[in-house]
Amino acid sequence: MKNHWPILVVDDEEVMCESLAAWLREDGYAVDTAASGRAAVDKARQRDYAIYFVDLKMPGGMDGIETMMQVRRLHPEASIIIITAYATVDTAITAMKEGAQEYIVKPCNPEEISLLVNRIIKVKNLQRENTILRKKLSRKYCTHDVISKNARMREILALAAEVASLRSTVLIQGESGTGKELVARAIHNSGDRAQKPFVAVSCAALAETLLESELFGHERGAFTGAMQQKQGKFEMADGGTILLDEIGDISPKLQVDLLRVLQERSFYRVGGSEEVRVDVRVIAATHVNLQQAVAEGRFRDDLFYRLNVIEIRIPPLRERREDIPLLAAHFLERLSHELGKELDGISEGALRLLMDYNWPGNVRELENAVERAMVTCRSRMLSEEDFAFLALNGAAGKALNFPAGMTLQDMEKQLIAATIQRAGGNIKESAAALGIDRSTLYEKIKRYEIPR
Amino acid sequence: MKYLYVGGMAEVDGEALESIRGRVAAEFALSPREIRLPAPGFAYDPIRGQYASTELLENLVRRCPPDAFKLLAVTECDLFIPVLTFVYGHAQLGGRVALVSLARLRQEFYGLPPNREVFVERALKEALHETGHTFGLVHCADRNCAMALSTNVRQIDSKRAEFCAACAARLPRPARPRE
Repeated sequence: MKNHWPILVVDDEEVMCESLAAWLREDGYAVDTAASGRAAVDKARQRDYAIYFVDLKMPGGMDGIETMMQVRRLHPEASIIIITAYATVDTAITAMKEGAQEYIVKPCNPEEISLLVNRIIKVKNLQRENTILRKKLSRKYCTHDVISKNARMREILALAAEVASLRSTVLIQGESGTGKELVARAIHNSGDRAQKPFVAVSCAALAETLLESELFGHERGAFTGAMQQKQGKFEMADGGTILLDEIGDISPKLQVDLLRVLQERSFYRVGGSEEVRVDVRVIAATHVNLQQAVAEGRFRDDLFYRLNVIEIRIPPLRERREDIPLLAAHFLERLSHELGKELDGISEGALRLLMDYNWPGNVRELENAVERAMVTCRSRMLSEEDFAFLALNGAAGKALNFPAGMTLQDMEKQLIAATIQRAGGNIKESAAALGIDRSTLYEKIKRYEIPR
Repeated sequence: MKYLYVGGMAEVDGEALESIRGRVAAEFALSPREIRLPAPGFAYDPIRGQYASTELLENLVRRCPPDAFKLLAVTECDLFIPVLTFVYGHAQLGGRVALVSLARLRQEFYGLPPNREVFVERALKEALHETGHTFGLVHCADRNCAMALSTNVRQIDSKRAEFCAACAARLPRPARPRE
């Protein structure tokens, strides 16, 4: 791995240059040498070195600082270590001001130089990993990759791309499993904040006090167990985007706190007296009808209007059935790689069954259904039999006891309790079986006071 | 027959030299041979009070016998390269010549009571390490392996006088793998 990070040693003294290069080569690095600043810049034009060891005093009109400045113009990410035998505070300050990562005085301890190089390489490995992950994420959550030929969805995606670079708050409404987080990530990744953090918080999963600390952080000693200061999600998302999922479930107190953040762009950590300022784009998502919640007095109207600057309503899958074959084919292809199981496609009969099904869990339920069918499929084509469990899901529902006069909420409570019991208390599994995400399930468990 | 020439540059600890000659030759499956080498005075740097290892290595390259597969020199002198305060040894990576210094391997150097066993073991580990470089081996991430980088004696003491399986496998004639 070390030879992925080439090093250039620059010094007019051949012995100094070659001996350091040899020492680094013994450590496994690919090392080149340059006998002058000009030679170093020429080499930097041809190759992107990870680390440059540059001697401060070199003849020929280009000293270490000048060499460093020219190299940094070519490769702003390069790590430059200035080496000198004559340590003065002035030269050290100049070197650091001009962008030297480190400044070492020769001769230095072998341990020091070894630790220094290891530290730089460790950071570079993390940066490279971060870049790769960001690329993967932006591919996964790009508006171009949201699959739909439905006219309303195309409008939504066009709007998402249009507002991506604005700072305005976005409110995404839609049933569970319609892809609210996917759209939020697509907005983040298409805008100016793509290189900054995207932080998602499920407001339904946590109790009020925990959520407050989670969002705004806390000071040391703010409450029992607060052993040290902790950054909240708003601070973590500084410069980027925060997604407040299931915003309809937050308490009246937190509604006030959030309103303040949206208005002032600042807040106080729990137990803190110092104002924290952040630059965060807020995207809120909810499966409940917020307008109705406002009308019923459960949600502050001023917060609703602050959140609802740009409104996106994602239609449920049953209202865009034309997308079902497209989505099923997409999941089949993607899961083929993940599961290592190559299939030819989905039969016409199976597609008819998928088109007729009501999809209460929306796209997530469809994805889970395709995966389940692929796991149990014994031929090269997904058939109606492979999706038989969809009909059984309905049958299982019927097997539950639903006497006349029972409310819809009672039915939901019974179904959730039965599913959790069948999954042995496993929330992830229960959420998947119900076709909803975990935060929605937590919210329902809390609301219906279902024992786990 | 492939010969490993091992010799002291001026007076060196006899026990350490013998141990190195026998064990290193066995580890690399080479035939050990003695060699007389010059005193290292020509590489002395009066400002640093140490010996320039690059200069010594260049001299050894010129003196390497034609039938030597590898040449390992042992010295009591404290070695340096310009950018570092000291080095325990120096070698031609993938070449024929290596050099080991015993100066900083004794407990007495650190103000501790003498310990012959510890000293000879350290000398052997560093000799294996430098000779390993001449076979093209670079520093190993396995801290127990003789090819692990050591920048202090604690690190030398914590590694073993043998190669890890990965380094042993990279040797043209594999050294004895660790059990």
